Amino acid sequence: MTDLNNLQQNKYTAGFETITDSESFEPGLTEEVVKRLSAIKNEPEWITEFRLKAFKHLQTITEPTWANVNYNPIDYQALSYYSAPKYRNKEDIPQEILDTFEKLGVPLHERDALLGIEDQNKIPTVAVDAVFDSVSIATTFQAELKKQGIIFCSISEAIQEHPELVKEYLGSVIPAKDNYFACLNSAVFTDGTFCYIPKGVKCPMELNTYFRINARNTGQFERTLIIADADSYVSYLEGCTAPAYDENTLHAAVVELVTHDRAEIKYSTVQNWYPGDENGVGGVLNFVTKRGLCKGESSKISWTQVETGSAVTWKYPSCILRGDNSVGEFYSVAVTKGKQMADTGTKMLHVGKNTKSTIISKGISFGDSSNTYRGQVRIGKTATNSRNYTQCDSLMLDNSKALTIPVVSQYNNSSIVEHEASAGKLSEEALFYLQSRGLDEENAVNCVVNGFCKDVFQKLPLEFAAEANKLLSVTLEGAVG
Amino acid sequence: MLVTQEFTVKVNDETVLDNINLDFGPGIHIIMGPNGVGKSTFAHAIMGNPKYQTEGAVEFFGKDLLAMETWERSRAGLFMSFQQPTPISGLSNFQFIKQATYSHTEKQNISALLKNFKEHANNLHLEDEWDKKQLNVEASGGEKKKNELIQMLMLNPRCAILDEPDSGLDVDALQSLTEVIEDFARDDKIVIIVSHYENLIKRLNVDTVTVLGKDKTVRGDVTLAYKVLEEGFKNVE
Repeated sequence: MTDLNNLQQNKYTAGFETITDSESFEPGLTEEVVKRLSAIKNEPEWITEFRLKAFKHLQTITEPTWANVNYNPIDYQALSYYSAPKYRNKEDIPQEILDTFEKLGVPLHERDALLGIEDQNKIPTVAVDAVFDSVSIATTFQAELKKQGIIFCSISEAIQEHPELVKEYLGSVIPAKDNYFACLNSAVFTDGTFCYIPKGVKCPMELNTYFRINARNTGQFERTLIIADADSYVSYLEGCTAPAYDENTLHAAVVELVTHDRAEIKYSTVQNWYPGDENGVGGVLNFVTKRGLCKGESSKISWTQVETGSAVTWKYPSCILRGDNSVGEFYSVAVTKGKQMADTGTKMLHVGKNTKSTIISKGISFGDSSNTYRGQVRIGKTATNSRNYTQCDSLMLDNSKALTIPVVSQYNNSSIVEHEASAGKLSEEALFYLQSRGLDEENAVNCVVNGFCKDVFQKLPLEFAAEANKLLSVTLEGAVG
Repeated sequence: MLVTQEFTVKVNDETVLDNINLDFGPGIHIIMGPNGVGKSTFAHAIMGNPKYQTEGAVEFFGKDLLAMETWERSRAGLFMSFQQPTPISGLSNFQFIKQATYSHTEKQNISALLKNFKEHANNLHLEDEWDKKQLNVEASGGEKKKNELIQMLMLNPRCAILDEPDSGLDVDALQSLTEVIEDFARDDKIVIIVSHYENLIKRLNVDTVTVLGKDKTVRGDVTLAYKVLEEGFKNVE
């Protein structure tokens, strides 16, 4: 029953659709739908309330229009807000869904992840939570992680099993009223990942969530919440793909991170949502709110993102540096081609003393695409002796447009803010030089672009860096010539 | 053999080189000429720089060179060292040479390749971690020139055009350069050097000297080079 249509002509290898029996809501967004969603997930009343409050507020606000992107108006009533493949329990996951993740290279069975590891005592490098449309399909190595007190599960499970933690932190960094898409997500979020790293624990493996959109005309509204308690450390990876449909698919996620005293979260994303075809038909609308709160002193949050997908990207992973001596980092590579539009960047809000932030953004644009960096650095009155370093580079080819909009505001005299920016066309001279040594055009472009992104790729965990490299070459394949 | 026939090169419809007929066999050949006459243009146009439009014909070991893309020319055994090698940040010297050699031949043993690279770098007195340095970034003029030579040695072309390989080199480096060139040419290679430095020319066993002029091209042996160096370009008839 699996239809794995590989859309070779599009160079987007994850563009296949999986045919599986699923249970979906009829299109439409009403209070009833929100209640039904909460009921189907058997949620406690406080979550239902959380959703309904958000839904009520949603009726009073509108989508933001300031971003440098264009898309057809979204008909929220034409979308379905829930789609889940039918199966009874986790031992009974339909083969076609297992095949889907296998094809995407996501190890759903612990034994797969352990393959090739000869030493029995060796801990695998990655634990996975796989989300298919509105539900989490499987989460691996939970038992292994539990031994150290680490909770790694779907948010739905966390609501049932660890309500005290979810209650304390859900919406604490990104309140439902934050912005339109965060508000929408708060009302209709379906699944996502929950992680809790207890005091003093260094998570022994990378935690990885893989988001797969499959159903047509269904929005994906995932919710991720990661808490690193005092003196803990976790490296978290997020990957995403979607089938190549003619219609736009809405993806409005919310990711909240909290670090306590001296804790560190390293959050890496390789975003490869379907970008639409060469004429700009179809593709994912990626409207995501990601924010981390460095709550404790000397805590650290680091965002690294490689963005190659989506028709439209609207995304600003940010850090609130509340704890004294806390550190925020943002490393980004955003590649746009064809008709893609990206408006992405970060916010660094310095509140605590001696806080530090680093922003390195690399924008690469091809074809008719547009690529905007939008950044805000705010060093508040209380954030004495703080520092920010920002570097924004853009590389352009063809008729593409790159725009850099950095906003800096500083409210004390003891802090230092540095900004560097460069914008350049991919130089003919560099390409000729490389080609004169035998590299063909594609390979030459690859070398230049990879070199351009190197500072950011170095920040990715090893396996992820290899994947990002591969993804980048595939992305460039269609872009040149 | 590299043979040009009625070879004309234009930039934005303006003729830079007009009707050049030259042939180069195995050996060392010098190209001289007053500033702005198009010596570098000649090298770039032979290599296929898209900035230039070419007419006429260039034959390279029986192949129609002008019909080939730049990388095809490289793979066919043509090499050019740049007067000002282009910096590529984030790309290390060795990564680059690996990509380049792989594009020429089947994948080779990487550690053998690295060993080979380090030997060349060592012979040219480049620093120990030269393989890890970014390509032509933060390198001195002389280091860049040496790096071009390493690339030539690694790719082992049939014909190398060296565009002012001696500029920016100190006396010791010049000595290394001449040794590398002599050694390389011994193997039946065609070496074409664009230069007007006596120091280099007198150290080499030069086969032919070509003076590119505004109106005409003169070919001779090494005495032609000395005549130019003594009397200037005016008296070359």
